[in-house]
Amino acid sequence: MHIWRKIIVVIAVSILATSGIALLGSAQEKPYEGVVLHLASMADQYADYLKVLGKKFEEVSGARVEVDILGYTELYQKITQDYATHTKQYDLATVDIVWTGEFAEKGWTVDLTPLILRDYDELDVPDILPVMWAEGSWDGKQIAFPMAGYANSLIYRKDLFNDPEEQANFKAKYGYDLRPPRTMKELADIATFFTRPKENMYGLVANGARGPAVAQDWMEYMRAFGGQIIDENGKVVVDSPECLAALKFFVDIFDKWAPPGAIGYWWDDRETSYRTGQSVMESSWSIARAGYEDPSISRVVGKTGMAMTPSAPAVKPQFGFGGWGIGINADISPERQAAAWAFIKWITSPEIQKEWMLHDGAPIRLSTLLDPELNQKMPWLRTMLKLFIDGNGDYRPRVPEYSRIQDILGLRINQAITHELTPEEALSKAAEEIKAIYGQ
Amino acid sequence: MISSVREYFNTGKRSLYLFIIPITLYLIFFFLYPVLYEIYISFFDYSLGSPKTFVGLQNYVLMARDEQFLHSLITTVIFVVSAVSAELALGLGTALLLNYESRIMDIIRTVILIPTVFTPLVAGLVWKALYNPDLGVISYYLRLLGIPIGRGLTVERSTALFSVILVDIWEWTPLIVIIILAGLKSLPKEPYEAGAIDGASSSQLFRYVTLPLLRPTIIVAVLIRAMDALKIFDIIWAITGGGPGTATTVANLRIFQVGVQQLRIGYASTLSNVLLVMSVLVGVFFIHVLYSKKYGGIR
Repeated sequence: MHIWRKIIVVIAVSILATSGIALLGSAQEKPYEGVVLHLASMADQYADYLKVLGKKFEEVSGARVEVDILGYTELYQKITQDYATHTKQYDLATVDIVWTGEFAEKGWTVDLTPLILRDYDELDVPDILPVMWAEGSWDGKQIAFPMAGYANSLIYRKDLFNDPEEQANFKAKYGYDLRPPRTMKELADIATFFTRPKENMYGLVANGARGPAVAQDWMEYMRAFGGQIIDENGKVVVDSPECLAALKFFVDIFDKWAPPGAIGYWWDDRETSYRTGQSVMESSWSIARAGYEDPSISRVVGKTGMAMTPSAPAVKPQFGFGGWGIGINADISPERQAAAWAFIKWITSPEIQKEWMLHDGAPIRLSTLLDPELNQKMPWLRTMLKLFIDGNGDYRPRVPEYSRIQDILGLRINQAITHELTPEEALSKAAEEIKAIYGQ
Repeated sequence: MISSVREYFNTGKRSLYLFIIPITLYLIFFFLYPVLYEIYISFFDYSLGSPKTFVGLQNYVLMARDEQFLHSLITTVIFVVSAVSAELALGLGTALLLNYESRIMDIIRTVILIPTVFTPLVAGLVWKALYNPDLGVISYYLRLLGIPIGRGLTVERSTALFSVILVDIWEWTPLIVIIILAGLKSLPKEPYEAGAIDGASSSQLFRYVTLPLLRPTIIVAVLIRAMDALKIFDIIWAITGGGPGTATTVANLRIFQVGVQQLRIGYASTLSNVLLVMSVLVGVFFIHVLYSKKYGGIR
């Protein structure tokens, strides 16, 4: 009897122990069971698959990520209001590179530096290209984790550039070979050459709509001309001769080379203009590259070339770098922050980055850009890598005052291209207003 | 206890107070408090998320020098005056045309209301597509007719404001039609019979009988539309975003930029107060006209 009792106790204890271990095991497998995180995402090409990833994450971790896809201005408004009023609507948000300074200064998103150092090996940090850290780095903090890196390049119609007849005509007219432009002068020549309104064909297109669209596209040309908004000493220099030259060139785009409606274009309008074959060249973000090869939205499948953006003679060629990081709302509880960090680690891991690339994602890792399978499908990844290596993520100043600067430029540059102000007046007004922000 | 309360309120006019308590509370919490608070924070330098600093009248001084805001006020006035007068003229005309009883008229009266039930933002987006300089139907036909539209109606400074006014007219004229139709239906028959006996022509009947009798209805219609047009935001936001330059930036849009986009709540409140005063003045003026004997009013 006594021995039987012992046996029963031993069996009971071992059953309890194994089930306990099993329970523990399942808890480790899905440590965030039942957690629902909310993510506010920019409505860029990557967003649709981010939604899919948000659902998939539940299988790996137990936590579901609900993704709200918002337009650029709506996203900024929603999350900044959420942060400023501490309403905790969103646990995670995609953070534009240019919002870095503002978010860091105001402490709106969690400083990820300690977490990155803790999980250094797991994250394989050296695999992430150095330029990517501009997405979120400010004053020794990393307030967002790189998620989607964009390179700015010159997109052009390869088929037209390689057409023998076009080449002969171009050489006869300008005295040199037709090839992707390296200087602003060549860019102007080629844009003029391909502008044929009767054929509904326009040489060069850019965003003209008042607000962030026109401001950001102008800054791309400002960089090409060697201009700056704020110099190394913190002085506002937006009325410099370089910026003026850039603005005059920018005004020319709309007066001479762009489709008539470009003056009201946002990013998606500009891309549509290129994809429908209306525009021959544009300076554009690499995230749109895959879309040119998608027959359901593009009429220029197989016809696109990607080149370094041209720059003015004395300017060291550098390439616009931009894109999106992902940040964690600083107001949410440590438990939710942990789940959010797990999600960030997961979506930026090499495997998921590769999967995402096949569904309109954007790379942050060297291994993704060198992946043979991806390179076979997307031969432009090599060019992108070169652009990233010489990328400059600071030509649009990532300062805390960026939004107000962009607001000023969004109006003044638009007034210049619509000839409400001369380029000189527009920049002198912009300089005056930006100086006022800094009390200069 | 309950019976004594009932007794208390049953005597004389006291019960009246009981009835106005709900609406009074509603007005205090949802109208008076926000307005007073808005006036209060207009004296502060207050960005959302940062502490408030009292700055006295500094925001008002800033506003008086704020070229963009002053320009937006002028744009608002142009918008309100042109949109509302066009809506009134078209609305009155259409109402007179539709003032007959028949099956077809019933159908037409229903159909013309369609624009009004559109959410303004949706109406704006639809019209934005119609105006699209490269792909839009309107641009296409205007070019076909040889009418120069420059780089597009909504992006040229000379036509942008006009093109958003047109959308407002399209959307809200039917409302005026309905209000005036209701007015026309309620007019007494006798003055017309008397006029007819005296040999008045139909234009004389309109000038001396219909118009004076319709005056209160017209004033109410204009009042409703004017107050609404002063607050215009959504149509313009959808079509031009306030551009090109500042051509279509009305006061509300500027307030939105300052308050919601830049989160400068203190200064945005200052600007809102100006718009509030404008709305009140417009309201007071029309109500004065409506009730004033001097202008043939209803009192």
